[in-house]
Amino acid sequence: MSKRWLIVTTVLAVLSLVLAACQPQEVVKTVVVTQVVEVKGTPEVREVVVTATPKPEERKLEIFHWWTAGGEREAADAMFKAFKDKYPDVEIVENPVAGGGGVSHRVVLQARLSAGLPPDTFQTLGGAELKSYVDGGYLVPLDDLWAELKYADVIPKPLANAVTIDGHPYTVPLNMHIQNILYYNKPLFEELKLTPPTTFDELISVAKAIKAAKPNMAPLALGAKEKWGAAFVFDSILLEVGGPEYYVKLYKGEIDVKTDATFKTALEKFKELIPYINTTNPGLTWDESCGLLVSGDSAMVIMGTWAIGYFKSRGWTPGQEFGAVTFPQKPERILLFHPDTYGLTKGAPHPKTTMDWLRVVASPELQIPTDVIQGGLFARIDIDPKEFPDPIRQELMTYVRENPTKLILDQHGSIAPFSFTQAYWDAIAAFVVAPDVDATIKTVGDLFTTYQVKEGAAWYQWP
Amino acid sequence: MEKRTIRFRLGETLVFLGPLLIFLIVLYGMLLWTIYVSFSDWSGTAPNFRFAGLKWYQLMVGLDRFWVDVRNNLRWLLLGVVPTVIIALFIAYLLEISPIRGIEGYVRTLILYPVAMSFIVTGTIWSWMYQPDKGVLNTIFRAFGLNFLVSNYVNDPKTATLWLIVIFIWQYLGFAVIILQSSFRTTELQEMVEAATVDGASKLRILFDVIVPNIRSGLLVLVSLLLISTLKVFDIVYIVTFGGPGYSTDVLAFFMFIATFQQHLVALGAGLGVIIFLIAFIVVIPYTLYAFQRWFE
Amino acid sequence: MVRIIRRNPILFLLTVLALAFLTVSYLLPIYVMFATSLKTPVEITQRTYLVLSGNLQWENYATALRLIAPALRNSSIISFTVTLLATFFGALGGYYLARVRAGWVRFLFILVGIALYLPYQVVLIPLVQLMALTRLALTHAGLILSYLVLNVPLASVLMGTFFLSVPRELEEAAEVDGASKLQIFFRVVTPISLPAYASVAIIIFTQVWNEFLLALTLSTPLTTTIQVKLAEVKGSFVALYNLQMAAALIAVLIPLTFFLLLGRYFIRGILAGALKG
Repeated sequence: MSKRWLIVTTVLAVLSLVLAACQPQEVVKTVVVTQVVEVKGTPEVREVVVTATPKPEERKLEIFHWWTAGGEREAADAMFKAFKDKYPDVEIVENPVAGGGGVSHRVVLQARLSAGLPPDTFQTLGGAELKSYVDGGYLVPLDDLWAELKYADVIPKPLANAVTIDGHPYTVPLNMHIQNILYYNKPLFEELKLTPPTTFDELISVAKAIKAAKPNMAPLALGAKEKWGAAFVFDSILLEVGGPEYYVKLYKGEIDVKTDATFKTALEKFKELIPYINTTNPGLTWDESCGLLVSGDSAMVIMGTWAIGYFKSRGWTPGQEFGAVTFPQKPERILLFHPDTYGLTKGAPHPKTTMDWLRVVASPELQIPTDVIQGGLFARIDIDPKEFPDPIRQELMTYVRENPTKLILDQHGSIAPFSFTQAYWDAIAAFVVAPDVDATIKTVGDLFTTYQVKEGAAWYQWP
Repeated sequence: MEKRTIRFRLGETLVFLGPLLIFLIVLYGMLLWTIYVSFSDWSGTAPNFRFAGLKWYQLMVGLDRFWVDVRNNLRWLLLGVVPTVIIALFIAYLLEISPIRGIEGYVRTLILYPVAMSFIVTGTIWSWMYQPDKGVLNTIFRAFGLNFLVSNYVNDPKTATLWLIVIFIWQYLGFAVIILQSSFRTTELQEMVEAATVDGASKLRILFDVIVPNIRSGLLVLVSLLLISTLKVFDIVYIVTFGGPGYSTDVLAFFMFIATFQQHLVALGAGLGVIIFLIAFIVVIPYTLYAFQRWFE
Repeated sequence: MVRIIRRNPILFLLTVLALAFLTVSYLLPIYVMFATSLKTPVEITQRTYLVLSGNLQWENYATALRLIAPALRNSSIISFTVTLLATFFGALGGYYLARVRAGWVRFLFILVGIALYLPYQVVLIPLVQLMALTRLALTHAGLILSYLVLNVPLASVLMGTFFLSVPRELEEAAEVDGASKLQIFFRVVTPISLPAYASVAIIIFTQVWNEFLLALTLSTPLTTTIQVKLAEVKGSFVALYNLQMAAALIAVLIPLTFFLLLGRYFIRGILAGALKG
């Protein structure tokens, strides 16, 4: 009796494994095509040897992205609709991994790529993040595709540079997200008769005014839980204090932070700003920091264009409940940006389908609906800014069109290698809680050497 | 216990031990792989198995963050295990001797549900509990006028780890109480307790002099499980503070995650994993070995 | 049963205090979850965690259920299969370790124990590579096997510890009667070990159901587990906590039911019989 039990249990166990592992077999068809070849001139009889064409590639696209819920889900759907409109025979297999900025996304990619299980294409932010995949040999250069689409002609040069490593473009960007935007509570500003600040000093005076009028409000909202929020604010200060060339040099590791006066000044200015930042910042995510504006606990936040989607999900309309300016606007009005891009992985199961996908990604038919919903700017500057329903992005898009060189890579799709950037974010986030200028200078200086930023960021060219 | 050896024939050995051995070999294989990688130069998205010696260990030791991690992990070890055991002991005992009927089932379900609930969600809830301005705890305290209890919880680098450990205790209390309760329910122990009661010993004396010395095996299992969990702690840190403020609540397992998957420094991550393992060796395993020794006799 | 019910006011007070404290600390988070699950995203932004919405969004539960149903199915398949197999294999292995007295077996027991201290992140990358090699990476089987690798050692240690405490007289008698090892195991040992089986099953089930990182890495849209799905439901840019909380409250029903069913065995003695101090 017990032997029977053993057999039964073992069979059950094996059966469950087998059932779970069952996958439908692929049917391989060989197609023989006879071609009629026309030859010009004297009719001749030629023998044409035709070999069986290889099995046509399955029209399937396996795609990784992180637009999983709410408004972003609609943006993903818009992307896929544009793809299916052009190529109706395609089956899209998406693997959405939640987490903006791609924290969880990177985990899955790292594991899958190093195990030789690449998807056809995956979302990546350009810059150093892209470079880490290129260095790993996981992406195929897209020179031919770009030449075919003449893509470099329709996008701003800094954007093209952000996805071009060692002279070869590796991905196709479909949007641009601007990092350094200062969102502000419009009705409050009108009530207190304030103009939105465009320099650091204006920011301080506006913050003072708000604090005086509304003592329970933290003038500037910050969500430092994911760490990069603090670096965003600091970047704005750096940009103003040092200017664009300095900014680029710094993140390329060409500045000795320990002896540099500009860096120190920037930190000290940041220190001045801290009393006006909410003390709850270490525990708040970026969306919760934007939420502080909606709940009336704060008046301003420095965040990227993706916040527009967040505000809309909370019932706020751009231009009504909130306004936005890029910050800072001195000495020049520079936009820090990063793109969302897609490429072709090496060893992709469906390369031809993926190339079709990339063609659609580069097209206005995809970019217009997707970017309008998701919150970024178009990658192509030949699209009419009026396609955006909100005045904020209309203005931004027009500015980019007219000044395409005023774009620099930001913290997300970064100039400096990711190994440095992660640790750098921690240091700046720690600074907000404990503003020790000298200690932070030392820490950051050491980080530049430890993570070899100079070598790692040498690839970046600006303008 | 008798010491006669029970003989297993080869076929029987394969059936009984086979599956375990297979999985064990795979597991140790992966451990060895990790140890090797920690000595390699894998610092990008693509594997790189070139030997690099102690390079990453040297880098690790030079990082302030690493030492913060070690300190935090030791704090977790001590403050995660001891309070949990003590509180669980009192609660389990209270359930045994309580004059109120029927509370046992209620309490058990109550403190067990955190284990069934997704940590992603419980972590989010606790971060809401801890928010200094509008969080649940401070709101309640202020509502009752207990302003002296208002705190910055995990926003204050000095106390942040402690408050994370509170979450750990909250999560594991259920398990602890159950394990201890089942330890109480042996016939010998119950006879001893009855004898002591008849002799007129107070409840507390019974607890310390009769019960505690005789539930050593239960305590062993409990402490081992807790030690393992605190050493590996990752989820709580990931969800509630993400290592912050700055990296004051960072632990080795979290740094390992960041190093491996965000910084793409896989060799560094592997090295950190090895360090966790070594700490386990030094701190935890001797204790378990000693306990097992006693048992094998 | 040690239930000394005496009229002891201090004890009564202590009990009441403990009860109150526990009730508040454990029910408060549930209440917050519940309250949040019935809000709209706009209301969540107010961060008034204790306030129930004036406009209860019960449809959040319908939406959440629709979103997570496939993930619940996947998690159930994976968790139950792993629990079944791990408990079974663990019991077999644990029995061997507990009964065979050779020195190398003791060493093996220790090896298995050490393996438990491995932080699972450490084995994530090699595990994925292994799964890729065996072409199982993106299937249910891949996840099941991965979890088995991580959990069979644990099951063995727990069951082995338990078996060590079971007196051998019964087994020896059966052996004298001519029963084979397998027969002894199934007919003699197992019936009295059911509480241990139940306890181990609960522990393993919990480990697997709650696991996030491995499930994330090896997941495909077809095999997404509930933990991964919960993260997805919140979204990357829109923070839909209301849906996430509703989903979590729905999802907890499965492990909770499993618990309550097996829980009585849990109490009857994960270590029953062993605890002679």
